[in-house]
Amino acid sequence: MNDHDEIRALLALAAAGALEPEEEDRVAAHIRSCSACAGEAASWQSIAGHLRRLPTPQPPPAVIQRARVMAEARFAEEAEARWQRGVLIFVVTFAWVLTIVSWPLVRLATGGLLDLLDPRLNQTWITFAGFTTLVWLTGGSAAVLLSLRQRRERRLA
Amino acid sequence: MAVVDSDVARLRRGEVDALSELISRYQNRLYRYLVRLVRQPAEAEDLFQQTWVRVVERIRAFDPSRNFDAWLFTVARNLAFDHLRRIRPESLDEPGPNDFSAETPAERLPSNAPGAFDRVLERERASHVAAALTDLPVIYREVLALRFEEEMKIEEIAEVLGAPLSTVKSRLRRSLEQMRQCLDSRYPGADWQ
Repeated sequence: MNDHDEIRALLALAAAGALEPEEEDRVAAHIRSCSACAGEAASWQSIAGHLRRLPTPQPPPAVIQRARVMAEARFAEEAEARWQRGVLIFVVTFAWVLTIVSWPLVRLATGGLLDLLDPRLNQTWITFAGFTTLVWLTGGSAAVLLSLRQRRERRLA
Repeated sequence: MAVVDSDVARLRRGEVDALSELISRYQNRLYRYLVRLVRQPAEAEDLFQQTWVRVVERIRAFDPSRNFDAWLFTVARNLAFDHLRRIRPESLDEPGPNDFSAETPAERLPSNAPGAFDRVLERERASHVAAALTDLPVIYREVLALRFEEEMKIEEIAEVLGAPLSTVKSRLRRSLEQMRQCLDSRYPGADWQ
């Protein structure tokens, strides 16, 4: 491919303003000395100009309004879901802290202080861990099921 | 751009007023882009609404260091392409009917006013280009719309398309060449200079 052909292949992109600076310089230099390429470049520029000036279709006002309402409703749902997640995390954290903190108090009140100072896993700790895990797994499953049901109901609505 | 960034930041913080600002700012550009992609105004209207709902759902995942225009058009593009794949898979490659030009033959008749011939000629060419655009495959229509109507840089188009710069440039060149072929075959002898 000679220089003329190479430049000709660049003319469409030149009209689109998509050439590198050095390519633009090459095209400009060639066009000054080649009337055929200058005419071709003018044609591409004309087509590009028409593309830039195509009429812009306008969205109907009712569509814009509906989009706004739909998006704001979704926005409110998202905010509510975030708030519910936050509340759930807080409640779970609070409950765990309360459970763990209250346990030593219960042990203290029932005279089991010495057991607390002994870090070895014994029957009492295993029972405590098993009992708490069971309770929270049950509660967690219930919360997840409830949340899925709410989401399904919202989607149907 | 700073105003847009501010509205985006407000929306990410949960201020719903910012949503209205963004819709007002982008409504014409976004709708035009969707019309170019799907060609049918009714479909573009549905996609326009879906795009804003998707924006609300995803805005917290938006990286503020990125260009919001490119992100918004990517959201719209993904929805439009999903829609096109779902309802008419062949439309991603196949040229469609010429339904763009609203001009009647009577409207194209020249008047006797001085310089009217040039204006009529110019309008003729514009309607030819518009008609040729609708006949191109969607991947060509979208790259032309993003470059010439949205005036996006090649880098921004690459971000919207999720494609390398070289692909964007070659697609842009092919789309222009195909448009030229279309114009030459539909209107032989027309002078584009």
